[in-house]
Amino acid sequence: MITVQADDLVRILPQAILAGFAILVMVFEPFLPAARKTLLGWFSLFGVVAAGAATIRTSFSPGLAFGNSISADRFSLFFICLFLLVAALTLLGSFHSLERENINHGEFYALLLMATVGMCFMAASTELIMIFLGLEISSLATYVLAGFKRQDALSNEASLKYFLLGSFATAFFLYGIAVVYGLTGTTNLLVLSAQLGRSGEFRPGAVFAWVALLLMFVGLAFKVSTVPFHVWTPDVYQGAPAPVTAFLSVGPKAAAFAVLLRIFLGAFASAGSGVFWVFWASAILTMCLGNLAALLQSNVKRLLAYSAIAHAGYVLVGIAAGRGEGTAPVLFYLTVYALMNVGAFLLVAHLAGTGERWTRIEDFTGLGYQRPAVAACLAAFMLSLAGFPTTAGFFAKFYIFRAAVHSGLIGLTIVAVLTSVVSVYYYFRLIVVMYMREGKAEAASASLPWALRVALAISVVGIFYLGLYPTDFLLLTNLAAVPLP
Amino acid sequence: MAPLFYIFAVLAILAALSVVLQRTPVYSALSLIVVLCSLAVVYLLLGAEFLAVIQVIIYAGAIMVLFVLVIMLLNARQETPSDRSRLARWLGAPLLLVFLGELLFAVWERFPAATTRAAALPDAGPRAVGALLFRSYVLPFEVTSILILVAVLGAVVLAKKRL
Amino acid sequence: MEVLLLLILLPPLAGAVLNGIFGRRFPQAVVSAVACTAPGLSLFFALLTAWTFAHLPTEPAPYVHSYFTWIEAGAFRADFALYYDRLTLVMTVAVTLVSFLIHLYSRGYMEQEGGYYRFFAYLNLFLFMMLTLVTAANYPLMFVGWEGVGLCSYLLIGFYFPRKSASDAGKKAFIVTRIGDVGFTLGVVLLFWTFGSVDFQYVFTRLEALPPGDLQGSLTAVGILLFLGAVGKSAQLPLYVWLPDAMEGPTPVSALIHAATMVTAGVYMVARSHALYAHAPLALEIVAVTGCVTAFFAATIALAQNDLKRLLAYSTISQLGYMFVGCGVGLFSAGNFHLMTHAFFKSLLFLAAGSVMHALSGELDLRKMGGLRHQMRTTWLTFLVATLAISGVPGLSGFFSKDAILAGAREGPLGDPRLYWLATVTAGLTAFYMFRALFMAFHGASRVQPALEPHVHESGGKMTRPLLVLAFFSVVAGYVSLPKALGGGEWFHHYLQPVFASSQALLSSTAAPAAGHAPSRLAVMGTSVLFAGAGFLLAYLGYVKFTGLPSRLTECFRGTYQLLVNKYYVDEVYDWLIVRPLRRGSEIFLWRIVDAGAIDGLLVNGSAQATASAGNLLRRMQSGNLRSYATWVLLGAVLWLGYILLR
Repeated sequence: MITVQADDLVRILPQAILAGFAILVMVFEPFLPAARKTLLGWFSLFGVVAAGAATIRTSFSPGLAFGNSISADRFSLFFICLFLLVAALTLLGSFHSLERENINHGEFYALLLMATVGMCFMAASTELIMIFLGLEISSLATYVLAGFKRQDALSNEASLKYFLLGSFATAFFLYGIAVVYGLTGTTNLLVLSAQLGRSGEFRPGAVFAWVALLLMFVGLAFKVSTVPFHVWTPDVYQGAPAPVTAFLSVGPKAAAFAVLLRIFLGAFASAGSGVFWVFWASAILTMCLGNLAALLQSNVKRLLAYSAIAHAGYVLVGIAAGRGEGTAPVLFYLTVYALMNVGAFLLVAHLAGTGERWTRIEDFTGLGYQRPAVAACLAAFMLSLAGFPTTAGFFAKFYIFRAAVHSGLIGLTIVAVLTSVVSVYYYFRLIVVMYMREGKAEAASASLPWALRVALAISVVGIFYLGLYPTDFLLLTNLAAVPLP
Repeated sequence: MAPLFYIFAVLAILAALSVVLQRTPVYSALSLIVVLCSLAVVYLLLGAEFLAVIQVIIYAGAIMVLFVLVIMLLNARQETPSDRSRLARWLGAPLLLVFLGELLFAVWERFPAATTRAAALPDAGPRAVGALLFRSYVLPFEVTSILILVAVLGAVVLAKKRL
Repeated sequence: MEVLLLLILLPPLAGAVLNGIFGRRFPQAVVSAVACTAPGLSLFFALLTAWTFAHLPTEPAPYVHSYFTWIEAGAFRADFALYYDRLTLVMTVAVTLVSFLIHLYSRGYMEQEGGYYRFFAYLNLFLFMMLTLVTAANYPLMFVGWEGVGLCSYLLIGFYFPRKSASDAGKKAFIVTRIGDVGFTLGVVLLFWTFGSVDFQYVFTRLEALPPGDLQGSLTAVGILLFLGAVGKSAQLPLYVWLPDAMEGPTPVSALIHAATMVTAGVYMVARSHALYAHAPLALEIVAVTGCVTAFFAATIALAQNDLKRLLAYSTISQLGYMFVGCGVGLFSAGNFHLMTHAFFKSLLFLAAGSVMHALSGELDLRKMGGLRHQMRTTWLTFLVATLAISGVPGLSGFFSKDAILAGAREGPLGDPRLYWLATVTAGLTAFYMFRALFMAFHGASRVQPALEPHVHESGGKMTRPLLVLAFFSVVAGYVSLPKALGGGEWFHHYLQPVFASSQALLSSTAAPAAGHAPSRLAVMGTSVLFAGAGFLLAYLGYVKFTGLPSRLTECFRGTYQLLVNKYYVDEVYDWLIVRPLRRGSEIFLWRIVDAGAIDGLLVNGSAQATASAGNLLRRMQSGNLRSYATWVLLGAVLWLGYILLR
């Protein structure tokens, strides 16, 4: 039996502010003429910034809230900041492309904010029910966002596929929660963790408990698109409007990883090695299939989709490395991945032109000469995705691999290194096409709107900052990794 | 109690199968009513009278009426089979069976003998449920409203003719 | 001092950035001014640093300055730190000097080409990376430079990208050197495991204090792995195949990157790691043998090449082999001496070749040249000087440096008569193929295509002036280390002595003394001159005196000749052994086994339509059909659950 106190509210302040802004966006929407909807976008951006400020406030009163169902700790605040960053970048990158596609409606911004709210709850909750609610909120919002180009058949198809398969997968997650509750009578991760602590092993009901964990894993694995739950990814990423893809490839994925970390490296970390091999095998399958499939793509959005799958594999390597070693590198990796992937997708979205006509690799032919700065940006993202030294992508991989080696996962590391060598090939294909082929890039027409420039500048600067001075940020991730329950 | 439970549990499962397998939407909807009602009986058997009543009133009553109404408005015809996936045709059902088997196996492992536990059922009256909902679970309760808001918003976005 | 060091590095970076971003809008004059100022400034600061260093009280102890912590992860730490000692001094001065001259030359050479600014931006960037490589104070930073020069080389080889051969060559260079880089990376990792650090100063200090014989196993492994990286970068057997193809790039690039600087990075790295190799004589022997065999092997291929630039490329491979022999027998200073002289005369050869190419509208086939010395006096003269130098004609730089290596092969701590004789024979071959090229291009009757004949002209001053400067250095660079036998002081050798002294002492103490009595230095010189003379004579007889002779000879030894012309069929062998099986394998695996086999073949239609490409698996998996997708999800759940239950 609890009563709500002021501190409780402070500890969900960022989420509350985001939700409030989402509602305000919907309230203002009817009063704005169609040409002025971008104002709502700026308003939403303001909301994200306000939520960021609120996060600072929250960080001054860390602790549990609402009967131990929310934990405002460094771990969750780290993820909330990451989500806010992703949301802000997506907003900045979406204004122009929404106008161009003629889908600049207030609902877009409201849904984006709501999805962020859901993700924040996923990362901050220590209560399975709350995690599930967060998952559902972010999922529902993203299902709709994926189909936001309502006139476009591909977009509709993407939305429907994502919705049906997503619901299918969420059912596994929910079923897992039900089993946990049936076995232990609680859905609170802290209580569960304490129960584990007493008996040393996941009791009562060993096998069935594993089944519960595994069902939850399936639901989350779908969101992070590990093989073989990745099947939806390429279709949805390709069909969804590109800013949405940028958001989708990073936000919900990072949120699901946050939950995976909290459940598997946090609450049930002491449950033994039962699911270790599941992570191990998933990582190998995901890295291999993602990278190999990306080799064969001719559409840039699809290529990036497979690359996103492959990157999930590297994060899984970090999770397989275990609690002490893996958490901080995973946080680092997710941040870097967010910067480079959002940047790459936003840029591709812009270059694709009206109706996203130019998304084949050949459409970028000779871009390096017509738009040197744009091409340099894209090349920087590709280099970072490929893990080239001096870019953040290198360190992200480096720390993950180091963690894996420290945990004795030599085989896994070898596969990871080999597949990342393979990945260089397809990332470089884009660079080669841009710089080493002559031609008139179809994708080079429009100039960059300055909001997008800001977003790209943030990503590129971030990539190189983390690539050249990773130490400070690494300390931060180490701090954030500590309070896993 | 136990026989009654099994009867309604099996009924719920069969009806649920029927929801999926029926080709005519109205039949599916009607089967769903059976599922919901049998679940209500199961709640009742577990001593949760309030939940059982709510289940019948809200789901079997309000929501199902809406379903049927929509189906009739849309004049939904019999579904035409569109199965072009060989993978699903050949692997779908066997995989489902294996999955079911795995779950049953796990249950079997956990509960080798049919032990009935006569634990004291908690108070599940309106007052107790209300207290839980607005005190311990006030946050999930409120956050659910965001979920519903998103769902409404999504429905509007996808369905409205002009945004 | 620390500011000066940075100032060596920064101008090329600034030049690259300026030209890379704004170059398109600059007129050519501004682009070339920016591009040439950068290495000029670097050269200036390199000299200034050298002067300052010479006046440091600690000299000759290395000067190390850490600018900031670059990577820190647990015990692993790498700073952005620069390392400056006499070896670095020699390298920075040589690199900046040669590249300054080549930049000047490129102004004229690239005038008519597209992508002027792009070319110079890459070239500047390359210089920055190369300087990073030679001044780095730890292996990770060196690796950044190492990879950076590779990237630039890759970009520049593929510079004429519309030509498929050019972009293929770029790709080949990239992939082949990457194989070596894997070795390099593993070597650094192993080193870290052994010493807990990758910092030069720390590791070398530890190594010097290490009693001989300790950690032999892991140090040998590190040495071999690092050398694998050098093999890739410096184009030694068996990873040399990319270098001849790299000649697809513009000629100044071949001169700068693929002759004078980048390809010598491997030699530099081995020399830099001398303290390590001193503890790993076995690794050092591998270095020497690989170098020697490569030198001979590449020289034989060069005998039969008719493409001027390819001939020079094989010659480069061969000369790099010499440098490795120098390092491998324990005389690191000799290896570096040859590195320096080679930088001058080989870049001169390439630039002169570029001048010829310019005059003949891109013609590179020696059989379509001849008699050019009349029209192109300066080019002929400078080419002649370089040929004399590389052939080891007494008095020119190549003679002294080659002699130092040959003597080392005999007397050095790890010297061996077999190495010596093979290297000496190679010297003869070198003289033969270089004079053959000289005679075919510049002497005899003209075989230039009639259409081109009227256009043959000497290149402009922009191009010839750097040639003359390089020719000057090709002559005099050798006198910095005049052997004692000729009354010299071996100044260069003694100058680098503080750097390598400890390693050489260690090697001399552990290695078994060379069998038999070592011939005197004069005898070594005499022998090499004899061989070179024989080579020259043969070339003269064959290509000036009795011009019919070579064709009759090739008739007689048709098989051998074909083998040489086709470069021992190494490319073909690689294609058969590695490339094709890989391609086939991936096709078979992806398409047959995984896709058709598992899903279609077994379950659906008994492996019917089995002719498409590898993409089919994924297209099948990615059928777009929702039910299939759901089935995959279910399959995953069933498999994982099954695993958990059966565990």
